[in-house]
Amino acid sequence: MTITVATARKHRKKNSLISALPWIGPAVALILLVVIWPAIELVKISFTKISLAGALGGFNGLQNFRDLFANPNLSVIALRTVIWVFLVVFLTVIISLPIAQLINQKFPGRKFVRWAMIVPWAASVVMTSIIWKWILDLSSGELNLTLTQLGIIHDDVDWLHDPRFSFYVLVFVAVFVSIPFTSFVLLAGLQSIPADLSEAASVDGATPWQIYRRIKFPLLRNSLAIATIINLINVFNSFPIIWAMTHGGPGYDTDTTTTFAYKMAFIEYNMGPSTALGAVNFFFILIIVGIYLRVTRAARIEA
Amino acid sequence: MKKVGLRRLAALAAISLVGTAFAAAPAHAAKITITVMTPNYTDAMPPYYADLEQRFMAANPDITVTHTNLSWDDILVKGRTLVATDSTPDILNLNTFSDYAAADLLYKTSDLYDAKKLADFVPAFIDNSKYNGTAYAVPDLASARMFFYNKQLLYSSGVTKVPTTWDEVTAAAKKIKAKYPKVYPIAVPLGPEEAQGEFQIWAGGNGGRYFDSAAGKWVINSKANVDTLKFLTGLVKAKLTQPNPASTNRTDAFKLFSQGKVAMINASVFFPSTLKDYKSTVDYGVAPFPHSATGHSITLGVQDYFMAFKKPGNQDAVSKYLNFLFAADNYAGFLRAAGGFIPATKSASATVDSSLLPFINQLPNAIFYPGDLAAWPKVVGAITTQVGTGVNKDPQKVLDAIQKIAEAAGTK
Repeated sequence: MTITVATARKHRKKNSLISALPWIGPAVALILLVVIWPAIELVKISFTKISLAGALGGFNGLQNFRDLFANPNLSVIALRTVIWVFLVVFLTVIISLPIAQLINQKFPGRKFVRWAMIVPWAASVVMTSIIWKWILDLSSGELNLTLTQLGIIHDDVDWLHDPRFSFYVLVFVAVFVSIPFTSFVLLAGLQSIPADLSEAASVDGATPWQIYRRIKFPLLRNSLAIATIINLINVFNSFPIIWAMTHGGPGYDTDTTTTFAYKMAFIEYNMGPSTALGAVNFFFILIIVGIYLRVTRAARIEA
Repeated sequence: MKKVGLRRLAALAAISLVGTAFAAAPAHAAKITITVMTPNYTDAMPPYYADLEQRFMAANPDITVTHTNLSWDDILVKGRTLVATDSTPDILNLNTFSDYAAADLLYKTSDLYDAKKLADFVPAFIDNSKYNGTAYAVPDLASARMFFYNKQLLYSSGVTKVPTTWDEVTAAAKKIKAKYPKVYPIAVPLGPEEAQGEFQIWAGGNGGRYFDSAAGKWVINSKANVDTLKFLTGLVKAKLTQPNPASTNRTDAFKLFSQGKVAMINASVFFPSTLKDYKSTVDYGVAPFPHSATGHSITLGVQDYFMAFKKPGNQDAVSKYLNFLFAADNYAGFLRAAGGFIPATKSASATVDSSLLPFINQLPNAIFYPGDLAAWPKVVGAITTQVGTGVNKDPQKVLDAIQKIAEAAGTK
């Protein structure tokens, strides 16, 4: 009896896989073509010799990786990448938590506020970056003009190029473009919390802060984890903000491993180590994705 | 990188598919398609090529031309990715050629042009188009640099004579700063856009070069160059330049000059037309570039190239195309569309606009980049990224680091 049920189930499983193929086939093909194949090429190319002109040569062993790790700028850039990812994601989450709370409240014009929140997310990142680049421009920027007219500064500040500011200006813009998505993920989390929980707590005499701290925040944990990890991936990969605003400069002072890989390949014509860095970056992303999958699975099981 | 990388790979995949389609066409077929890829010197270039190629194809019905106009930024990247995927264009207009010549991808110019045409190119320019003694590209146009100054700012600050030496530059800059605290007396744009040019024109006036061709070695960290970077650092520390030279691109500096916020600047032959585009009202003068106490005034000659890639069966077609482009009338149109550059041929030089003459007169003092070395593109990359940081860090160390990269890249 048990055996027949098991075989029947197996049969059904096999059949359902075949019958599902027409439906998932296009998606699988797409993933194979635009994700798996380039990833394989990326790894393959990182072990290939590449001439100055860009022509591919034969197998190069680990030489590209040796060249990469011999680069005197790599360690500083790698450290900066960690700081960059941590700062941006941390600030984004800290700012998005109260914003999610705010747009979860009922107030007149809420729809409008929610719309306005989405705009920086909906706009292309390159566009946003270029607008900020012009706002922060030394000689024709709106920010310097405003601050001068308000009497706050007397000499124009070179926000984007002054080594004291440029990195933090980039962090600010990265946070600015990450907030909408994060807020909306957290908003979705808040809306999934049953209202009667907080009602019950307030009947028992809990203050609003206690309700948030003890009831809502713990229940937000899953959406918080997902928002954090997706932001980790986005921010780590963030190329357009840095490239559009500072090109990673001066020197390598605002480069992350992502912009550095591009700079090596197409500014310095150091193709070999650049492909190696591409592979290393991809490996890090795989690790983060692995963590993401674990967390979402844990979340699903709990739910 | 991943996102960009994936998109690029997808684009390459598409391009290489097209490439194989072309390659698959039988070689003996009478009809041939050639691809031409050029940068936009100005917005007038695409219409110029459209007209040129329409007339070319009418005269050569068996040749079809597909043309790609790209911005400078794009063409530098695309040139490299196309080689990596074996889908180079047939004809390319670019600012470097030597790495392609070294990889044996290009036709010799003697295989493309007749002797009379070749003899018409300005000899200094054709010499710069040689790799290992053989010309693999031809110059399409050239530029030279001079010292531009804002007459009003200079003279009203009590500067009576246009500076010809570094000391005079410093003295004039101090006077301007005293009179106009908001003006940056001299622009030193060492940002990635053109740091190699800005640094070379200062260092050249001190006897500094990137490459010593007689000795066949890189001399980037020579004393002359280190002293130059120290001098520039001095200007920056004294707040006589715009802030943060390492991140100031040439375009930023041009903009500041056009707004009257910079009094002195190193600029190229096309700068007057740029100022016109910016609707600048600055009354400027042009002078030879200042030099150090021990050096003499130089100008930096920069040229771009036309090159043709070797592919089965395309030699006749690319030769016809290039000879058509360099025919007197068509080439004159090219120069007009490119806007204000120095012609690369003797015949076209004979009829230039008088505003170009001061620049052409400087050409005997011109120094050139070692563009004939296959390693040069790589060295330029290191210079543009790093040389500007010398004004914040230790000039010697910064130049040592670039020297090391250059030596690793080789001297061929």
